[in-house]
Amino acid sequence: MAEEILLQDDFLRQLMSVGEVDLLVAIPSYNHAATINETLQAIEESLHQNFVRERAVILNVDGGSSDATRQMFLDTSERRNAGLKSLTSLRTIHRISCEYDRSPSQGMALRSVVAAADLLRARSCAVVSPGTASLTPSWVANLLRPVYREQFDFVAPLYARSRFQGLLARDLLYPMSRAIFGRSIREVYSDEWGFCGRLASQCLEQEVWHEEAVRARPGAWMAITAMCRDFKCCQYFLGPKTAAVPGTSADIVEAIRQTVGNLFWCMEANQAQWLNRTGSQAVPTFGPDHELSADGIPGAQEKIFDLFRSGVNELHPILASILAEDTHAQVKAIALLDPGKFRFSIELWVRTLYEFAASYHRAALNRDHLVQALVPLYRGRLYSFLLEHAASSAEAMEVESEILCQEFERQKPYLVARWNSKSEVKP
Amino acid sequence: MKEMIIHGLGQAYENLVRMFADFLPRLVVMLVIVVVGLLVAYVLKTVLRTVLHVTKLDRLSEEAGASRFLRMAALPSMTELLSRSLFWVTWSGFILIGISILGVAGLQEQISRLFLLLPAIFVAILVLFLGLVTANFLSRAALLAAVNAGYPSPKLLSWSIRFVIWALAISMALEQVGVARQTVIAAFSIVFGAFMLGLAIAFGLGGRELARDFLERNLGDKKTKKHEEPQPL
Repeated sequence: MAEEILLQDDFLRQLMSVGEVDLLVAIPSYNHAATINETLQAIEESLHQNFVRERAVILNVDGGSSDATRQMFLDTSERRNAGLKSLTSLRTIHRISCEYDRSPSQGMALRSVVAAADLLRARSCAVVSPGTASLTPSWVANLLRPVYREQFDFVAPLYARSRFQGLLARDLLYPMSRAIFGRSIREVYSDEWGFCGRLASQCLEQEVWHEEAVRARPGAWMAITAMCRDFKCCQYFLGPKTAAVPGTSADIVEAIRQTVGNLFWCMEANQAQWLNRTGSQAVPTFGPDHELSADGIPGAQEKIFDLFRSGVNELHPILASILAEDTHAQVKAIALLDPGKFRFSIELWVRTLYEFAASYHRAALNRDHLVQALVPLYRGRLYSFLLEHAASSAEAMEVESEILCQEFERQKPYLVARWNSKSEVKP
Repeated sequence: MKEMIIHGLGQAYENLVRMFADFLPRLVVMLVIVVVGLLVAYVLKTVLRTVLHVTKLDRLSEEAGASRFLRMAALPSMTELLSRSLFWVTWSGFILIGISILGVAGLQEQISRLFLLLPAIFVAILVLFLGLVTANFLSRAALLAAVNAGYPSPKLLSWSIRFVIWALAISMALEQVGVARQTVIAAFSIVFGAFMLGLAIAFGLGGRELARDFLERNLGDKKTKKHEEPQPL
């Protein structure tokens, strides 16, 4: 299958010269010359220390960097070879770099990775981001080991978070994906994860790589594929995650377009698998299943509330075509509340999201527009959360998170009912 | 006298019979053409409806927001509208051919002109439809982008885009059917030019602060803007 993918001749030649491998670690890159050195060092140390007898390859898939990232990758590897003589690896660790396209695309990058994994018959693979400053050798080992030694098929990371970090993941992506797909994986939308060769081959065979949702967030699509097809999934606690260059993460609009757009698309693509699932199963977790630190302060809250209120007013006809009449009326009513007494209840939040998902399914309007229309409502929920938990302890916030998850599961029959009434069209 | 009257009546009767004999076959031909036209139009309508169902035009129209406008105007779905339009345009063409067969003096020229106009009308309808879809899609995209970025007066921006595209589509459609071509072009140029000038003056004189704010948001330090809200992921 991999040969049929449009792998460049040079890349194919490099892969064939490597032969079969046990482990594959991929680094998707785009203008990461400043950080790829450290990433490569962590991977090499991990492989040398933890996988002494295994055949391994480090694969750099680049999206047309203009800052000599690939050159850095190759030069660094040569330098490291000299420096690591004292370590105990018994095999050569191969390094391959390829340029999959002249413009960056996470989907194209992962496609090259799974094609390489398929061709090299890799048993355990991991993807790590050169944009993560806190990557350590143990991270790489922890992503590879459960697949290689414990026969798991997919390894999701778990990160230590500060209280107000990753709220989109905690308030929407995790509880909703858990209720829909029935597996409690916290970090579906992450930049690091591990997977087996069998899952890579199955993903490679699917004709979805041109889809925008897959191109934007291929890792989440792979995680959801694993959940829906009953692959053995687990989570591994990695520790705190920090970006190499602060402030480079996607802003709230772009993050919602990518992640929620991907989640809704995956719901559509896998409806046969999840529509009849009820409840959720915990997946095996290595280390603590969450860690919230008490630090962090909420940002500019008044601005968030203003954006929510103006969004509800300005997008009135769009929201009316997405939400049920009653839900829309409740959203409009809370937008009129005094900012100090504002509360976006979890019942209303869950119902709102399920109605958005059902409207996405019946294509009530352009799907990208529909996802963008969620942004003001997410801001409302965010403001409510910040207001409620400004002084909460990490434990209290975790309890609240679990209550939200259960509310998503409780209201799932409502989603299924709306999802199946596809012909419903607003007057 | 009596013979003259009888002869006159006889001649009139003969003329009438001759006229009927001359007209009746043409009428029959016309009716045949109309019936054949009805069948052809029906077949074309069915084929087009099937093709549009397969290509999921209704879904596209729903996504683009054009269906909402059709519903507001109590019109059927986009597929139904286009297939019915094709039916009526085709059948009207056959009816006009049939009428021309009758050979009614004075009608021939009018029918030829109408015939020349039919494809242009169909193209004009298509232009209007595309204009409607494009205007709706782009104005909604602008509205969402402006609301989510927190720009002031997002509806004004959205309606401006909708207005410009509608004006363009309507003037193109009218030009296509040849209605007061010069007037349409002149009117469009004046309206469009005035609108742009108005925007430029309003933005330049009345919105200097807004312009500065806009430029700072888009060309200034983006990191500051991003950190107004907690990191989402």
